[in-house]
Amino acid sequence: MHDVTAPTAGDLLVILRHSPHGSSWLREGLDAALVGAAFGQRVHLLFMGEGVTALVEGQQAGALGQKGTAPTLEMLEMYDIETLWVEAQALARFGLSPADLMLDPVPLSADALARAVATHPLVLTF
Amino acid sequence: MKLHILNRSPASSQVPAQALSAMGPEDRLLLIEDGVQGALPALIHHYAAIPGRLYALREDLVARGLIGRCDGTVQVVDVDGFVTLTEEAEQTLSWY
Amino acid sequence: MASTELYRYLTVAGVRIGLDPEGYLVDLDQWSPAVAEALAEEEGVTLTAEHWEVLEVLRDFYARYEMAPAMRPLVKAVGRALGPDKGRSIHLMRLFPGSPAKVAARLAGLPKPANCL
Repeated sequence: MHDVTAPTAGDLLVILRHSPHGSSWLREGLDAALVGAAFGQRVHLLFMGEGVTALVEGQQAGALGQKGTAPTLEMLEMYDIETLWVEAQALARFGLSPADLMLDPVPLSADALARAVATHPLVLTF
Repeated sequence: MKLHILNRSPASSQVPAQALSAMGPEDRLLLIEDGVQGALPALIHHYAAIPGRLYALREDLVARGLIGRCDGTVQVVDVDGFVTLTEEAEQTLSWY
Repeated sequence: MASTELYRYLTVAGVRIGLDPEGYLVDLDQWSPAVAEALAEEEGVTLTAEHWEVLEVLRDFYARYEMAPAMRPLVKAVGRALGPDKGRSIHLMRLFPGSPAKVAARLAGLPKPANCL
């Protein structure tokens, strides 16, 4: 586990704060990220709060057959969305470690998180 | 400088803490809707880290009968003040 | 997003294939190579081996990611599967004129790409 002290800036930072299945916010945030990337923006993602649970390995479709988000997360690299950050404090709150997560996101300390927000000209919260 | 807009109360939600953790040293926080509860003296300690950068929307305070009960460190703004804050910021972020 | 709005039918080998207002399959399971040929004919395209290999890439993409790709990821996926010479927008524009991501997704029996305008 390594921390990033000077996060590199992209054009758009999308902050995902909601868990899969509970609401449509996670999917809407991912859609926004994909649209940005499809238009050539450098998009970075930050999984914050409950959003860290979106990265837990082994997710499935919902009980009523709703699509899971894991295939979309795996697709991000095809859209050249390769900077994935996760809030270190939120991971700790959920008792998760980076080894529990898919896609190898980089944990951000509280300071690095605030800097990541500050250095992006456009930040969208979902 | 970014303007963060928050509509959740620190008495019932983690969202205010998320907004604070994303704020840079110059950023401002505007409390609206149920967020204005955070302007009460009993809850103001949640915002101790951003002295002078905390705002609350007057009409939401008035609607809730809280206008006379705000902590003295909170800067109360009306809708015109909200617009000014928005114009002064390079970007606004919503925390909900 | 897969559309469920039935707009018209295309008849292929005696079977009615439901299409949405933009010409995408309503029931993705109805796709077959013959359906692709019929859809291509509507576009004025004759499918060659070069078309088919791209349609295969698209069907693999959808099977894996559950979404139809916009242009950039389509170019990337084609480049990975078929080599850098084919992973170029000009190649895809030649095969599927107009809007390659949309046209190729339609012929491959995928929903319309969601994040491509």
